[in-house]
Amino acid sequence: MVNVDPMPDHRPLLQMQGIVKQFPGARALDGVDLEILPGEVHCLLGQNGAGKSTLIKILAGAHQPDEGQILLDGAPVVITHPVAALTLGVATMYQELDVVDGLTVTENIFLGHELATAGFSQRRAATRRTRELLARLGHPDISPHKEVGRLSAAGKQIVSMARALSYDARIIIMDEPSAVLDSEEVANLFRVVRELARDGVAVVYISHRLDEIRQIGDRITVLKDGRAVAQNLDVAQTPTPDLIRLMTGRSVDQVFPDRLPVAPEAEVLLRVTGLGLKGTFHDVSFEVRAGEVLGLAGLVGSGRSEILETVYGARTATSGTVEVAGRRTRRGSVKSAVDSGVGLCPEERKSQGLLLDEPIYRNITLSAFARFASAGFLDESAERRAAQQQVEALDIRPHDVDRTVRTLSGGNQQKAVLSRWLVHGCRVLLLDEPTRGVDVGARAEIYSLIRALAAAGTAVVVVSSEIDEVLGMSDRVLVISEGQVVFTSPAESIDEHQVLALVMEGSAA
Amino acid sequence: MSARLTTSPRRGLLALTTTVAVGALVLAGCTSNEAPQAEGTAASSAPAAVSDNDDDGDTVVIGFSAPAADHGWMGAITSAAKAEAEKYPDVELRVAEGTNDVSLQISQIETFINDKVDAIVLLPFDGAALTEVATQAMDAGITVINVDREFSSPFAARTTVLGDNYGMGVSAGTYICEELGGNADAVVAEIAGIDSLPLTQDRSQGFSDALSDCGLTVSNRVAADFTIQGGETATANLLQAAPKIDAIWNHDDDQGVGVLAAIDSAGRDEFFMVGGAGSANVMESIKAGDSVLQATVVYPSTQAADGIKLARLIVQGKSMSDLGSLGVPRQVQLYAPVVTQENVDLYLPSAFQS
Amino acid sequence: MSSQHVSAKPSPAGAGPQGAPTATRPRRTLLRGSSGRSIGLVLALVVLCVVGYVTGGERFASVDNLMTILRLAAALGVLSIGMTFVITGGGIDLSVGSVMGLATVWATTVATQTMAQDFHWIVMVLVALAVGTACGLINGVLIAYGKVVAFIATLAMMVGARGLAEMIANRQTQPVKVRAFLDFFRAEVLGIPALVWMFVLVAVAGWVLLNRTTFGRRTIAVGGNPEAARLAGVNVKRHTMYLYGLAGLAAGIAGVMMLVRTTAGSSTTGQLYELDAIAAVVVGGTLLVGGRGTIGGTVLGVLIFTTLTNVFTLNNMSISAQSVAKGVIIVVAVLLQQRFAARGRAT
Repeated sequence: MVNVDPMPDHRPLLQMQGIVKQFPGARALDGVDLEILPGEVHCLLGQNGAGKSTLIKILAGAHQPDEGQILLDGAPVVITHPVAALTLGVATMYQELDVVDGLTVTENIFLGHELATAGFSQRRAATRRTRELLARLGHPDISPHKEVGRLSAAGKQIVSMARALSYDARIIIMDEPSAVLDSEEVANLFRVVRELARDGVAVVYISHRLDEIRQIGDRITVLKDGRAVAQNLDVAQTPTPDLIRLMTGRSVDQVFPDRLPVAPEAEVLLRVTGLGLKGTFHDVSFEVRAGEVLGLAGLVGSGRSEILETVYGARTATSGTVEVAGRRTRRGSVKSAVDSGVGLCPEERKSQGLLLDEPIYRNITLSAFARFASAGFLDESAERRAAQQQVEALDIRPHDVDRTVRTLSGGNQQKAVLSRWLVHGCRVLLLDEPTRGVDVGARAEIYSLIRALAAAGTAVVVVSSEIDEVLGMSDRVLVISEGQVVFTSPAESIDEHQVLALVMEGSAA
Repeated sequence: MSARLTTSPRRGLLALTTTVAVGALVLAGCTSNEAPQAEGTAASSAPAAVSDNDDDGDTVVIGFSAPAADHGWMGAITSAAKAEAEKYPDVELRVAEGTNDVSLQISQIETFINDKVDAIVLLPFDGAALTEVATQAMDAGITVINVDREFSSPFAARTTVLGDNYGMGVSAGTYICEELGGNADAVVAEIAGIDSLPLTQDRSQGFSDALSDCGLTVSNRVAADFTIQGGETATANLLQAAPKIDAIWNHDDDQGVGVLAAIDSAGRDEFFMVGGAGSANVMESIKAGDSVLQATVVYPSTQAADGIKLARLIVQGKSMSDLGSLGVPRQVQLYAPVVTQENVDLYLPSAFQS
Repeated sequence: MSSQHVSAKPSPAGAGPQGAPTATRPRRTLLRGSSGRSIGLVLALVVLCVVGYVTGGERFASVDNLMTILRLAAALGVLSIGMTFVITGGGIDLSVGSVMGLATVWATTVATQTMAQDFHWIVMVLVALAVGTACGLINGVLIAYGKVVAFIATLAMMVGARGLAEMIANRQTQPVKVRAFLDFFRAEVLGIPALVWMFVLVAVAGWVLLNRTTFGRRTIAVGGNPEAARLAGVNVKRHTMYLYGLAGLAAGIAGVMMLVRTTAGSSTTGQLYELDAIAAVVVGGTLLVGGRGTIGGTVLGVLIFTTLTNVFTLNNMSISAQSVAKGVIIVVAVLLQQRFAARGRAT
């Protein structure tokens, strides 16, 4: 644990001490401390799943901590729900802009705390307040009467910020505020943040972009696996490599199975040439051989999931070709991909992968049930047998193929989706976040399953937000940033720090 | 829609003078809405003679509007009105497209007012909703004849032509009483139309009043919905509910097709049936005597045709030749006769196709 | 492509034989699933029948009355079975009543009946089925490929088909003049009317189609999670189109049945039947959001409504009282369904 003394001349505005939050199957926060001074921009850093969003949700009143306490001005407070947070002066701007498109700027800003006397809204007062707020944010050009749906993303963000200020917020939490902005808008955002800080408002700033943090931040707290691994680092005095080391420092032992050498003469099962999807990614080319595992590393929004879905035909490519074992698949046709032997385990398991209220066996045979039918009539007992075989082989618990999938744990659900392609049989397997929401034990099983599939001659492509996972599982890694392949390398010859540096610096404005 | 309504110059002038006259009266402070004023002058110019009513007179422009012809009876209303107008060379009939949209029907009447027709024969989709525009027409000096569904104000029409729903029930009930000849234990069933409509309630009331006059009551009553399938469903269940029936009155010959299909399918023939409204195929069936259908009670589909005739008389300042009094009556309620095998030939020509 | 079983580690039981675990299964599926959920419906029907017997006596408990109920249930039943597929597949079809009316009208035009006189009465049947299927496929194409919301697309068809029927029939009744048609369908086989046989056949075929075929499996998948079905390789659009086509076909069959019952084609036939069908399907236990459907439940739902009308008529009670009872049944059934669904999820 690295500890730097807080600036001694300020009393902390907000302190979070020993915050613990337990979710079913995972300890999201494991004793986190956070200290915010008035008028500072405090940056919160950490990889996906480090606990950043859980922490700010606790601060915003959306979650309750299991242990630990929150002090505001030195006095303990309990934030039971979002409105309580707002009345305490803690406002949150979420990543997905939470404005209502159909309402005007004023209506959005005062949504939930309308200025009213005896039920009659004081529209004139609200409009005046809105003008003041917008002017303070450097945007007197936005009309209070404009419909928010017609504003740009930056404009919406200003509205969101004005709403935070309308509560007389003393602490504003900004979750990746620059993600939707272009560089000019980012500059304005920074100006506003600085002005807020000068007025004594504390800003908790969450971002993946280290260059931004250098420009705007005062102090940094780094989260890793639910713990604060470094607190109150001075931005100016902490070099980037140190930050990256802090973020990636290994904690959970993840045993990745040994790689097997891919024979250079092995058949190229998947060849993607110049693939593009307008506005999302362009000119992506790669090959995957039988027995090879290819990893795609990149941030959320870099286009990595979209690349998989486009290869699979679930999105229609605007350029380029996909060949499976030398045969070109039809653009935008899942059927063509599946018929030529491609399988996909989608990113959102529940919404994209499973029939939650159907039994396990029907989920396992979802791609292949037609094969258990003659003249259209299903042989359900053959189906069950095939599913039973998979359930036992993959140890999907419980070993009861009639159990509804909804009742399974995340890891077992993922195995059910995976086994779907084992029943169907596929030569190219595309895996999008195969271990998201899967506990550590099941992860290891999934890793070895993927390796076993490769060993049996399947070409595998893996996407994951967890860089160590991509590196540990793959033979070769493609680093994706802003819709482009920025780096290709064998997995052994690149480490987590380098990848992180590539995806973060690569996206610098 | 008959949006394109042309007006002859002569008519326009006449209507204009009437309008000016009415306007002057209003200006003078008189209470307006003196409905009979239009023919007040005309009556003196053409005293009622015995039978020269059909002779050519001044050309009368009549606007006609009725609901959509979504069943046989309503279809017959319009075609009978057209046929009646054709008989008179001095009648120019302008027919607006039938509609069940109240606001559209109102605008049709407004168009007629703007075009300064002499008379409007109006079967409103909803009497109350059309009352105001009809009153405007009257104020503009146009003779309005209200057909079948009554306005809510007496000032909205010069004359009203009505069928007799209560009378239908009375006729049917009286006929059944006669046929059953004092059998006090007789089972009488009734198949009504849409129960929530006042006309259905009137028919049922008349039926029950007439039956009680001879000591009978309705033993089983079901309601259909004026559709064939509704008639069939209601009747199939009714026949199960009453294993032995002596007489059935079915309110409506349109749904009667379904009623007969159900009776046929159940193989029942121990009773006789009386229809309602008087469609052509029901009358043919009565004439042939090949089914349980023995009689039907007419609800005349010639009401609007009568309206055309009366409108012409009123505008031309004539009276009804068989009445001694001058002037066409304010209200004419038509009779609901019972049609049986004996008199069916008399009614068949005016029956409607369902 | 043949299936390629990769028996990946880590479990040593991987290559185990598949005999033992299947033995206990059939009994458990019987108690679970739709048949278990239908117990409430069977109970409701039994209660209704007891009320019918107590109040109506012999008049209710006769074979003749039973056949009347079944005959009256037949057309709505067929319509509802088609609707069950659409709703299970995550859709809704408001047009079936109108399409049924259009089918009766088109099958009884002078032209069709003349052709039927000249060739065979089957012409009328074929015309009705073709009209129904065509309307359904138009719905399907609009919804699946035109991306029109099902509610709106079928609402448009509901209005349009009714209007077309009125135009063709000129709002007049078109009696069936082809005697052979009526003779065939009004006959009884083994003492059971042909209409009832048709209902039974369609119900059995519907059950098999939904529960025992790939078509049924696709329907459940498409209704349960269209995105998952699509990513698993199911052609969701094409299947959606087929579902509406099937509902149209059912409306065509129901149209033929209605012709037999009423002996005439009319543009008023089938009014409000779409709502009765939806009510029967939902009361039967099919989820309105899709993904789970039960033909048995639908049949029970239709029988409950039809028996209700019968019992009320036997007791000489008004239509209004029937409507109230119907409303109560719908609400109670859906409330019970939610309770069952919640319990099923909790286990």
